Amino acid sequence: MGTAIVKFHNVTKTYRSKDQTVTALRNINLEIKRGEIFGIIGLSGAGKSTLLRSINRLEIPQSGSIIVGDTEMTTLTGKNLRLARRKIGMIFQHFNLLSSRTVYGNIAFPLEVAGTPPAEIKKRVLELAELVGLSDKLNNYPAQLSGGQKQRVGIARALANHPEILLCDEATSALDPQTTHSILQLLRDVNRRLGLTIILITHEIQVIKEICDSVAVIKNGQIIECGPVVQLFANPRTEIAREFIRTATHDKIPENLQTLIHSNPGEGNLVRIFFQGEAAKEPVITSLIRRFNLDVNILYAKLDFIQDTPFGSLIVDLNGTDDNVQTAMAYLQELGCRIEVLNGVESTTLQSAD
Amino acid sequence: MVGVSLVIATLLGLPLGVLLVITGPGHIKPHPAIHSTLSIIVNIGRSLPFIILLVAIVPFTRLVVGTSIGTLGAIVPLTVSAIPFFARLVETTLLEVDSGIIEAAQAIGATTWQIIGKVLIPEAKSGLVLGITNCAVSLISYSAMAGAVGGGGLGDLAIRYGYQRFQPDVMLATVIVLVILVQGIQSLGDWMARKLNHK
Repeated sequence: MGTAIVKFHNVTKTYRSKDQTVTALRNINLEIKRGEIFGIIGLSGAGKSTLLRSINRLEIPQSGSIIVGDTEMTTLTGKNLRLARRKIGMIFQHFNLLSSRTVYGNIAFPLEVAGTPPAEIKKRVLELAELVGLSDKLNNYPAQLSGGQKQRVGIARALANHPEILLCDEATSALDPQTTHSILQLLRDVNRRLGLTIILITHEIQVIKEICDSVAVIKNGQIIECGPVVQLFANPRTEIAREFIRTATHDKIPENLQTLIHSNPGEGNLVRIFFQGEAAKEPVITSLIRRFNLDVNILYAKLDFIQDTPFGSLIVDLNGTDDNVQTAMAYLQELGCRIEVLNGVESTTLQSAD
Repeated sequence: MVGVSLVIATLLGLPLGVLLVITGPGHIKPHPAIHSTLSIIVNIGRSLPFIILLVAIVPFTRLVVGTSIGTLGAIVPLTVSAIPFFARLVETTLLEVDSGIIEAAQAIGATTWQIIGKVLIPEAKSGLVLGITNCAVSLISYSAMAGAVGGGGLGDLAIRYGYQRFQPDVMLATVIVLVILVQGIQSLGDWMARKLNHK
């Protein structure tokens, strides 16, 4: 990871139809680092597809600049555009394979387009089929393959011309959870092995959680939040991000616990502690008891992983002097935990410093 | 007569149909002026009943083959009527090629020619074979009218012997041969289309 490989600068795109103008992208500024897996998440119609497609100019923005490597994409035409596109692989939600060609023919297609000599095509196709685990399916037609296998062909085809970037347009949205997992693992694998930068769009936070390094949340054509995935999960700043994370971590408080909280307002100090990374390794509860002389009653706990980073939340009932409770909470925030007060000391949500 | 017309109509109708498709709105080479001009020409060709076209283009036929009667004289109008017919069939078939596949080819960096030759036509070849079959059957039916200019063939036989000379057995035989011929061509076309279809 290091320097930026894709840079968006003030990119705007609007669609005009007879009676209305729809702004798909508003003033997008974005940098994607070389070698990372960058996720763009948003609900349908948020503009994520337009954003992704403008990278290889399947969509043409009205204004702004998109630099891929050293190339300004927005002004490319003809041959230069085709050459630039060869360095950007792309896979699709509905795979978009040639039904008239076998697996072999599909993987060979971009090589034929690039004018690769036949002997080299053969060598490369076999190599790619091996990489995606389809060496025994070379003579099958796409119609004879499962969804996951089709996407593997799509990935092999996208990698044929040694691209530096792979664009994934909802690549797992048509697949069942298990197949999604195996395709994501394959993407992770090629990202690490080939140092390939992957840019994916999705409406499933699970995909972001599983393989992305960085993430941008897009809403109404604007990027409303952007940064490392771990940071987004630990400290989401917008409601839509929080909503996505709730779905991903299934961290809705169980209903009976909710009833308990609501039926006993003001009693004790019920707080929810969100912790991640290093803080997860600290003996937090023990410290609360020993250092601040509190009684700690754990009502709910949940631990999850974002790739390799532990991430979780606890709901605890803190009993002690008000002073001690306050200092204890300050201590937790110092550790990097986010605290939500469910009742008791304060009714507002405290936010940890970044 | 039908064979020659079919071959020429296929060779000329295919590029015409391809051009109609790719210059259409939202396709790989949108060009409204070319698209609508071609569309109008094709519509003119399609709007004339064959028997009228046959006599209307007699001067053109003479210019091309030197005569407007006989088998040679029938090939020209048959071909002229089949080209726009086939072009429309090609257009319909090619429009059915999934736009996602075309987009994938564009993303790969394919040229317009590569998209036509490696994507559009191969993906549609099963439909194109059915189009050619359709065209062959129509040509057989039109060729009967070519009998009116002494074009020879089954139509000639049926009209001259079966109708004008009151020979019902000839008429019946012609009908039977026609039915078998059309059935045969259609079955062959269906079979080939199935073989080519990998969807």
